[in-house]
Amino acid sequence: MTSLHISNCRIHNSDATSVSIENGVITALDSEAPASTDTINAKGALLLPGLIDLYSKANNISSEAKAAAHGGISMMCTSPDSKPMAEAPADIKSILSASEKAGAAQVLPLGTLTSELKGEQLANMHGLIEAGCVALSNGRAPIKNSLVMRRLMEYAATHNITVFLTPQDQALAANGLMHEGPTATRLGLAGIPETAETIALSQQILLAELTGCKVHISHISCARSVDMIRDAKQREINISADAAIANLLYTDQAVNGYNSCYFVEPPLRSEQDRQALLAGVKEGLLAISSNHKAHEQADKKATFADAETGMSILDTFLPMLMLLQDEGITVTELLNAVTALPAQILNLETGIAIGKPANLVLFNSEDNQSCSEPDFLSCGSNSPVLNQSIRGKVLLTVSNGTIAYQQD
Amino acid sequence: MQIQYDPNQVQLTKDGRLKHFLTTEGLSKELLTEILDTADSFISTQERAVKKVPLLRGKTVVNLFFENSTRTRSTFELAAKRLSADILNLDIARSATSKGETLMDTLWNLEAMYSDMFVVRHAHSGAAHFIAEQVTPGVAIINAGDGRHAHPTQAMLDMLTIRRHKGQIEGQTVAIVGDILHSRVARSQIHALKTLGAKEVRVVGPATLVPKEMADMGAKVHYHMETGLKDADVVIMLRLQKERMSDALLPSEGEYFKLYGLTEEKLALAKPDAIVMHPGPINRGVEIDSAVADGQQSVILNQVSYGIAVRMAVMSMAMSGQQSEREQEASV
Repeated sequence: MTSLHISNCRIHNSDATSVSIENGVITALDSEAPASTDTINAKGALLLPGLIDLYSKANNISSEAKAAAHGGISMMCTSPDSKPMAEAPADIKSILSASEKAGAAQVLPLGTLTSELKGEQLANMHGLIEAGCVALSNGRAPIKNSLVMRRLMEYAATHNITVFLTPQDQALAANGLMHEGPTATRLGLAGIPETAETIALSQQILLAELTGCKVHISHISCARSVDMIRDAKQREINISADAAIANLLYTDQAVNGYNSCYFVEPPLRSEQDRQALLAGVKEGLLAISSNHKAHEQADKKATFADAETGMSILDTFLPMLMLLQDEGITVTELLNAVTALPAQILNLETGIAIGKPANLVLFNSEDNQSCSEPDFLSCGSNSPVLNQSIRGKVLLTVSNGTIAYQQD
Repeated sequence: MQIQYDPNQVQLTKDGRLKHFLTTEGLSKELLTEILDTADSFISTQERAVKKVPLLRGKTVVNLFFENSTRTRSTFELAAKRLSADILNLDIARSATSKGETLMDTLWNLEAMYSDMFVVRHAHSGAAHFIAEQVTPGVAIINAGDGRHAHPTQAMLDMLTIRRHKGQIEGQTVAIVGDILHSRVARSQIHALKTLGAKEVRVVGPATLVPKEMADMGAKVHYHMETGLKDADVVIMLRLQKERMSDALLPSEGEYFKLYGLTEEKLALAKPDAIVMHPGPINRGVEIDSAVADGQQSVILNQVSYGIAVRMAVMSMAMSGQQSEREQEASV
């Protein structure tokens, strides 16, 4: 399909009510549908820029790209430990071709930062970017020491490569299963202290400053980390950060009853931490990522310590984001966190305007989305809203001018 | 999004009777007292020549120990036998289950053999809870220790010990000394003591072994024996595992004994009629001096004999709770 016309829609922060798309680009607002163009009548639904997700693990590129489009995502970064592992140009080629074949959300692979993600030797960084990676990451695997961290940042800076990092001091987090605090103490689950994150983060910020490398911090979880990122930006360090949607919606209280659905990395923290992350989103400091990780039921049906970590988020990403309006975050602030900021981090274009790439999502905020198992296009339904219904429903997702998802 | 959670949704029937025994947390004073009263009544049967009662006749109890413990397992076995149940002992090292057959598969197989009760010990916190809630809800689960979380039958036998030796739990000042961080016994004791009306519960040890968040559970945190034992009615010593030294939590056994080991001198800080307890097995010369362990104020051996009565009590109560729930469901 090369042309598409969406009529009768409400566009956020605009008076226009229709959009024309040709060859992947928005060509007109408020114009009549040209003859022989496919037309979609939005019936008054809300048209938003398509979401850009900064981090999902995809064990199956095709199903997870479809799940992403189902959740309003036009473009998604996949973690380097997805399947296949993004460690060689041939892997990147196969990821990109699987993405194209799926015809859903466009996959933007994050390549491996170190060889086999071991944190010891630099991966072929330049080659991975040349093959089509948008940035490099080590997943949640640690970097061996400060020297390797410094070197990889220096090398990345040389070639203008963006590095995605997750801040966690392995020794302090060792054996930890949840946020260290009263709930962990009562449940008898080993805690992960706030300092496991902030000590690692301070290393990353200081080395980013030293090397001038462009660094993005994936999923911060602590109030103190928000302050550290704010301070680093004020000092004009080339750094950005996001919070995972789970950390914005839930706290460590959710782990009561040993519900392994809430066993996530980074851990769900205190209410004070959650409020600080929300404030960070509100002030435009933090992007929001899905931090999606799908699992089969069996992987979660185990004792808490034996269960796999992660939540399946993609299918419900936009409705879950919209829940944050109840926390005082406006739609404009939300869109900034899932479209404008990620676009800036990845050097992409976003927005609904003539000449912009046609990445769009049509959302009905009144309707409810059912979340029973068959409703998940992802290979995992390990979702906190499983078997519930959630307010709001994605009707259509467009990725680079083609339909990535359309409600039946 | 607030997520409400109440442990009793899992362990109690709709009309508030025990159907699993997972934790002392959240149980009412009445229910805890019922356990103690029932146990008391079994103590008299234990002193008879014929010790068996027919409460669990025809029922199958499976001792499911994913973590080794000869002592606890044998008291459960004796308790089940004295209730006339058939008992099957399974020692499943964790390595065996991780070799392909999952925990769930093992449990479903046992359920298919028409088991009525699982006595579960597991190294992971929440294991008993997970089995009761998600795996075999129709089988009564008795938690025989899960990770650092709970050891409710041990806590209840400790409550029985205090009640029998001090007359009542109300008004007592109880000091729990040692490795609180890793102790499921301490956590279960704190919940039971608070509910049963103890005046003050103290946890005593160095900050590496006593998380400050214990205060949120209602315990007072003390880092020194001088203040921790002062005027206590009950002193409970916990076992110190050797690994704590290599985990950089303590410098040495010698320094630990010097600062936190219970000697006659330190015990003199407590009330003159204070009792000394220990869940066992004791490390003489590490957390407790032999003179105290074997002394006048020690009730350590009495604890062991009350253990069988308490386990008989919770096993019979949970079995009858399961039965009444099944009857109610059938009549609906």
